[in-house]
Amino acid sequence: MKATLFDRYGGFGSVHKVVLSFYDKMLDSDIVGPYFDDVDMAALVDHQTKFISQVMGGPASYSNEVLEQVHRRLGITQEAFDEMTGLLEETLVEFGFKPEDVRTIMTSIRSCQPYIVAKG
Amino acid sequence: MPQSFKLDAFNALLLDSVGVGLIIAAYPGFEVLFRNQRALACFPGLADVGARLSGAVLGFDEGALRAKLDAGEAFKVGVEVKLRRRAQSLTLTATKASFGDSAWVVVEVSNDTKVRELESMIASYSKMVEQQNRSLKKEKERAEKLLLNIMPESVYKELKTFGVTTPQRYDEASILMLDFVGFTQLSVEHDPAAIITELNDIFSAFDRIAEQQGCERIKTIGDAYVAVSGLPEPAPDHAQSIARLAMMCVRYVKRRNQTHAIQSRCRVGLAPGPVIGSVVGIQKYVYDIFGPGINLASRLEALAGPMEILVSEEMYERLKADFVLEAQAETDVRGFGPKQIYKLLGTEGMTLDIEPAPAGH
Repeated sequence: MKATLFDRYGGFGSVHKVVLSFYDKMLDSDIVGPYFDDVDMAALVDHQTKFISQVMGGPASYSNEVLEQVHRRLGITQEAFDEMTGLLEETLVEFGFKPEDVRTIMTSIRSCQPYIVAKG
Repeated sequence: MPQSFKLDAFNALLLDSVGVGLIIAAYPGFEVLFRNQRALACFPGLADVGARLSGAVLGFDEGALRAKLDAGEAFKVGVEVKLRRRAQSLTLTATKASFGDSAWVVVEVSNDTKVRELESMIASYSKMVEQQNRSLKKEKERAEKLLLNIMPESVYKELKTFGVTTPQRYDEASILMLDFVGFTQLSVEHDPAAIITELNDIFSAFDRIAEQQGCERIKTIGDAYVAVSGLPEPAPDHAQSIARLAMMCVRYVKRRNQTHAIQSRCRVGLAPGPVIGSVVGIQKYVYDIFGPGINLASRLEALAGPMEILVSEEMYERLKADFVLEAQAETDVRGFGPKQIYKLLGTEGMTLDIEPAPAGH
């Protein structure tokens, strides 16, 4: 079996830094930040941990149905989605991810867009 | 005297540059006299004129604070504040500092947010991993169960440990072949689902009996059932075991017919003989047995009438002491030539006849 990105980048021992950095960026952003205004810290960290783990092939796996279900009520705009993917890309580059791996992750996230962005 | 508290520019700069938030208040009045930039960032209300430690900004319990300070102890309190949208978890530690006649309260504001964030992340991650482990374990058990269905446990263990199995020769074994008379016809006359359920029920019952008698079900092929005794663990009484299995299977089918709409009639052939048992296949495992006894049992089964058990002469020799057998006319068995065969009728305490169904059925 091919090693997942999660394993290749050092498992949770390294990936947790990506999680926290991405979490900081998301909160500091005025576009995506407001979505988290009423979310408590533990729930938010939980969300980011699962998210990064999912996109890197770590121990989380959410079906498209689940993604759609949890994001449905949040009314996420296209702008917010693009901001989020931008921030993630920035984070991954900062942590020295190889360009092809960044591309793989970005492609995988963009494929989830229909389940996350609210339908106008 | 609160008014006597003065900081020159250098000291103010120094206090602003330390890594924690600092608040200095008057004692015993608790009016805030100084706060550095870090403390102000956490509590913007400190900039208000007349802010007090026990006021709205910090919300210290004045009585508790005074009690601790007077006892010469530190007063500690955990506070959650939201800076922009980020929840900050702070620990405030107040201590009394005296210089000569005057005293002040120094409050240190330390930020534990990063630690809390890390703790949450570890909690979240371990929960995820634990959940994954649980589902992996379930998956493994399912796979294991499937493999145990198609091969004896000792062979499965060998496969699991070494990744391969070696074919094994068993000199002393007995084979049972059973199938149903007119099953093909039955399957077109009845609802296919009902027929399969029927077959499944019967074979499951056979499996239970086989296990009880120390026999192994090797496989089923359509409506045929193949079982063996004497492997993978050698058993000196393998012939007796297989004969009991045969009788109990026939009795089970008879009894079942008393209460079921679909009438099944089985026939059985038994033969002893050396067999080779082995896992066959790389991707699709099948545990199978090979040997002349298997063919003979299969031929005998084909010759048997409905609800009859036929055994070979070699089998007869092993069974005659404990079982009632009836010699049949010598018969030409395909591939084996003329053979003396016997019909198994019963043993002490058990015959193929069963008592009539209890009233009410």
